[in-house]
Amino acid sequence: MLEPAAGIRRLPRAGLAWRSVAAVAFLGLLVLGTVQGNDDRWPFAPMSQYAFAVHLDGEVRSTRIEAVTTGGVRTVVPLTPGGVGLRRAEVEGQLQRFVDDPALLEAVAAAYAQRHPGRARYAHLEVHQDVTRLVGGELTGAPRDVELAAWDVADPRHPLGCCR
Amino acid sequence: MLPVSSTTRRPALGGTTAGGTTAGGTTAGGTTAGGTGRAGAWRSWWAPPVALGRVAVLRFVLYAFVVLDALHITTWPLGHGDVPAVLYRPILLRRLLDLPAPTETSVRVVLVVLVLSAVVAALGRLPRAAGWVCAAAYLEWISNGFSYSKIDHDHVALLVALLVLPTVGAARDPFLRSEAAGWAVRCVQVAAVCTYFLAALAKMRFGGWDWANGAIFTWAFSRRGSTLTDALLAVPHLVVVMQWGVLVAEFLSPLMLWLRGRALAAAVGFWLVFHLGTYLTIGIHFLPTVVCLLAFAPLERLPQAWRARTLPRSARRDRAAARG
Repeated sequence: MLEPAAGIRRLPRAGLAWRSVAAVAFLGLLVLGTVQGNDDRWPFAPMSQYAFAVHLDGEVRSTRIEAVTTGGVRTVVPLTPGGVGLRRAEVEGQLQRFVDDPALLEAVAAAYAQRHPGRARYAHLEVHQDVTRLVGGELTGAPRDVELAAWDVADPRHPLGCCR
Repeated sequence: MLPVSSTTRRPALGGTTAGGTTAGGTTAGGTTAGGTGRAGAWRSWWAPPVALGRVAVLRFVLYAFVVLDALHITTWPLGHGDVPAVLYRPILLRRLLDLPAPTETSVRVVLVVLVLSAVVAALGRLPRAAGWVCAAAYLEWISNGFSYSKIDHDHVALLVALLVLPTVGAARDPFLRSEAAGWAVRCVQVAAVCTYFLAALAKMRFGGWDWANGAIFTWAFSRRGSTLTDALLAVPHLVVVMQWGVLVAEFLSPLMLWLRGRALAAAVGFWLVFHLGTYLTIGIHFLPTVVCLLAFAPLERLPQAWRARTLPRSARRDRAAARG
């Protein structure tokens, strides 16, 4: 039944068997991940990018971190790999942690100081969201600024004791 | 456009499969290349003979893409090296493997290993050893990227490709058809389709039908907007039509596993346009999935045409005689 045909390299039964098990198991875990898993189980996580519903009369929230430097200048913290090593979505992914424990913002100050040793350090940090209302699916009015967390860095020159 | 053709010369994935099509790959079809009945149908669906030339081209493109990905696209794992560990939220996989929080040194070592192994594998050298090292390094790199509370869903098909390509071994003769190659190609195709189909299931799980009738595109456009998105938002009801279009296409994506010829080319073309659209509007390109769509194309024709041109005439005659 499985003689090698001309120009075709067949898989032995055992080779097909382990491949079948591996493929079906991986596929099963992928499906399970989307049906009842969570992001923690990646690669078997729900394919949930942009999967949540936004109510037509809901709101759009956009997160940023603002900082006041040791020189007294207010600035928007660059939430990029080259800025502080964290992206905006990563800050949003652990937004609740920043709200529950604003001291975590000092880690952002430390990451910035580590990356940009020559620039003014962050003395005070705030997590903000711009909230824009949707009416009938359309953005309505100017965004409302909401402050969610704030933190004063005790020793701004050495956040988390870094960069000595 | 991808070189997908409607010819039925070779029974290969993306061309035609032997034994006709079977729904879900589980019902017994007629006589198939691998045998008869259910076992044969299973074999011919999951491991159809595919020319090794397709694996050779797929390897070159995908491993070259890994280099591009690590150096230019998914670059943020490098930046995680000096983010304080208090912000590190390791995913289950990293906790199970007991992988430590990334450090300045570790991210650089992983990057060098990843790039070197991908270059070796792209050149077709040490396909198993370099392939496994590359798969492991990529898993480390990407899981680092996802361990700071943001998971993306565009890497699964490429990860599957890196896990299955080493199992094929050497792919020197582009004409030789191999079931091991067919299994690897099929796995990449299934993983790419899963990325779409499961995205539709996730939308039902988290958003329900409200997802398509809601304001998700408005939300995305307003967060990452441009003049193009402003123009789209200005057309009444357009975003809802687009949302329904995406949802229906994602639900129908498994059909790609049975389509052939021009219909398959059209389906692949649709997704390319879709990804170009999301890139132009919200800057999300899904390239790691896009490159895996190549598994649907009869890539083997490239090295075959090259080999046919470079082989001396006598060797071509011998080959023709051997094939009868």
